[in-house]
Amino acid sequence: MSLIESLSANLPKLLDGLETTLLLTGLGAALAAVFSPGLALIRLGGPTPAKVLLRIYISFMRGTPLLAQLFLVFYGSGQFRAELTALGLWSFFRDPFNCAVLVFVLNSCAYQTEILRGGLQAVPPGEIEAARAIGMTRAQVLARVTFPHAYRIAWPALGNEVILLMKASALASIVTVFDLMGRTRQIFSRSFEFSVYFEAAALYLLITVVFVFLWRQIERRLTRPMRRTQGN
Amino acid sequence: MPPKTATDLVLSAQDIHKSFGAQEVLKGITLGARNHDVISILGTSGSGKSTFLRCLNCLEIPNSGSVAVHGEEIVFRNGRIGDQRQIERMRRHLGMVFQQFNLWTHRTALENVMEGPVQVKRMAKPEARDLAEALLARVGLADRMHHYPAMLSGGQQQRVAIARALAMEPDVILFDEPTSALDPELVGEVLKVMQDLAAEGRTMIVVTHEMAFARDVSTEVVFLNEGRIAEQGPPDKLFDHPETEVFARFISKTRRDIA
Repeated sequence: MSLIESLSANLPKLLDGLETTLLLTGLGAALAAVFSPGLALIRLGGPTPAKVLLRIYISFMRGTPLLAQLFLVFYGSGQFRAELTALGLWSFFRDPFNCAVLVFVLNSCAYQTEILRGGLQAVPPGEIEAARAIGMTRAQVLARVTFPHAYRIAWPALGNEVILLMKASALASIVTVFDLMGRTRQIFSRSFEFSVYFEAAALYLLITVVFVFLWRQIERRLTRPMRRTQGN
Repeated sequence: MPPKTATDLVLSAQDIHKSFGAQEVLKGITLGARNHDVISILGTSGSGKSTFLRCLNCLEIPNSGSVAVHGEEIVFRNGRIGDQRQIERMRRHLGMVFQQFNLWTHRTALENVMEGPVQVKRMAKPEARDLAEALLARVGLADRMHHYPAMLSGGQQQRVAIARALAMEPDVILFDEPTSALDPELVGEVLKVMQDLAAEGRTMIVVTHEMAFARDVSTEVVFLNEGRIAEQGPPDKLFDHPETEVFARFISKTRRDIA
């Protein structure tokens, strides 16, 4: 079979897998992004017990393999089936896709929190003072000055985190999620057609390239004010 | 100068004490400003003059003492903030201009000036835009409204910062060494704007090293030394007949610097 024929035969399944990969990554990164600003604030100025808990959580998430975390939730939840059923949560944990999303949210949130913490710490204190001096409330200072600035600083690192998460999402195939990697393995196990791995790699590369391009466009817009020459 | 009575005062500070760790920077400072006063605060570096100015709008929280704006008084005990809302309310009456300008770098000059009226005073955007355009024109930046701070010179940035303070229609404007971070050739344009404001009858408290400004523009000069007011009065009297040796030395030293 030629490469073209093989690709056109495999493409529907691979695209289905690609959709799952995008969904997995997108949900994981987006939900993590909802929680990371609040956690970053706690990390910097929250009450001590909350700070300690947060540090433990972050060290655990960053210090253990993502695959181990996936196993922990996917196989671990099976051990507590009775309890989870009683709580009405079993139907959530029964689906490997849900388990994977949960793990990705928890994992990415730890990284995003740390990235954002760095961004927050790099906001020029004078700009925050100017906002306070004009009579803004604390919430206004955060919304109008601190976070807009912190996100501009953190933007490239956050993009990097999303790319890493996207590639790491291939691990979900090991807990039986049919993402792009899962579909690829499925096709290979039936046909022993090695080229399907190249096709999968090309698709991963394609979405990364598109993502990097889009992310950089946004970055250019965000950081335009900071550049001395504002031609672009 | 007629004596100041409590009812005249737009802004007053009573017996302000401030320590950083074991070091007491302000050792009890009392100062009041009436409408149209232009008070210059002079002092050697480390005399506590910037710290005192920052206490007036609670960017530093004094350990003890009180600040009153328009008769509404905030009393400080043990360096703690009592009512955050009250502090925010009080700050709306006080404009502040910083040594490092502190413009919001992600906003244009126009957006910087509109921000306070829109966010804090809840002014409608078109109205705030008109106000901001008029103020930027007044500080000579009509053609720079849509520039970001990174595109402006220091003097231009400081004039935007002054327009930003004016946009809140403050009762008193605090200036914290507004020309100290500027290249010498840019100092004049900022001082000119400040002079115009003084001539308009704006109430201003200015921490400065500009002796000519203190002498020619202000209505009152305060000299701080080691956290206390060492000398205070109308500029002519102070500069011509310094009462303390430390102020006499301070003047002669700056005169030598100018010459």
